Amino acid sequence: MSTFHLTIASIGETKFDGDAQSAIFPGSDGEFTVLAHHEPLVSTLKPGHVHVRDAAGVQHAFNITTGVVEVSANHAIVLI
Amino acid sequence: MAGLKNIKLKISSVGKTRKVTRAMEAVSAVKMRKTQERALLGRPYATAAISILHSLAGGIDAANHPLMQKRDGKAALIVITSDKGLAGSLNSNVLRAAEEVIKEHHLNKNEIVIYAIGRRGADYFANRGYDVRERHENVADDVPVAELRTATDAILAWHNAGEIGRCYIVYTNFLSTFEQKPIVRRVIPLAPVALKEMVEGIPPVKGKYSNGKIIDKTPIYTIEPNAEEVFNVLLPDLIHIIVFHALLEAKASEHSARMVAMKNATDKARDVGKMLTLKYNKARQAAITREVSEITSGIEAMR
Repeated sequence: MSTFHLTIASIGETKFDGDAQSAIFPGSDGEFTVLAHHEPLVSTLKPGHVHVRDAAGVQHAFNITTGVVEVSANHAIVLI
Repeated sequence: MAGLKNIKLKISSVGKTRKVTRAMEAVSAVKMRKTQERALLGRPYATAAISILHSLAGGIDAANHPLMQKRDGKAALIVITSDKGLAGSLNSNVLRAAEEVIKEHHLNKNEIVIYAIGRRGADYFANRGYDVRERHENVADDVPVAELRTATDAILAWHNAGEIGRCYIVYTNFLSTFEQKPIVRRVIPLAPVALKEMVEGIPPVKGKYSNGKIIDKTPIYTIEPNAEEVFNVLLPDLIHIIVFHALLEAKASEHSARMVAMKNATDKARDVGKMLTLKYNKARQAAITREVSEITSGIEAMR
């Protein structure tokens, strides 16, 4: 399965930085999933969980209260 | 003999001072390294935030956001100094830079609101009759993020209430262990260029941390829910980043300035110790010579 590069960072630290198969975000307009080669997107996030499946297929979950996600050029950045 | 005893006391007191300053030097060195590492931990976030802003600014009119517009009103001044002294000219340099900003923009005392982080700056401006609205002391070296939020939130609240139209931050920029420079940055209205400069300046000029560049890219985005919402979340965060990094830089500078000051004190104490020892030996020798000559002259007299 193809992957994309995902960075999840908060001000003090970087929570996740690596390749991922998929990531599910709680967007302000509803939940959405990002896969490899997603179209360029910017969205604000609402409180909830970010579910990440990394390159090895392992699931990770991150709690967020607020944030912005930016996807472009097979690269996703989440600021929480 | 009284002189001898005095010198001996002085030697031991100088020696003790030297031990203290050397210990403080070592402590500052460790703290400095820690703050530097922490400044770098937060770097991916700042880089990412800027590249988002950078790419968004191409497509949408970000300049219409209140945080990016010039407005009338008072000026807020965030002054970051240390709580304690013994750090060379660190604090006085920051305070001088702050005074220069005030002069440069022809601001009267009643047009300025001070947000002081660090006791030295707070006291300085309070003594001179400025409006020190908030003062933060004892900010821990690891700079708790929650505590920082209160600083940014206060500034944003003043801005939203229309009280302040702009905001500057004055702090010490960490260039290397031996070189720290006071610096003034404009926080509001926000300028992406200034922010980019700041983040690129996070790693020290020399040292083991290499510098990664920000990627310039302007694809066409799908924006959810709309640009305004995204900016409403993103721009306060960017201001937050500025304050956070300023604080980390200031911390790193404080510790390295103190380290250098303590190193100088240690060296000076050693010199003084050497000089006193020499003086002591000379005085001791003189006393012995005098005694010997007294004895010989006594023997001569008895003959």
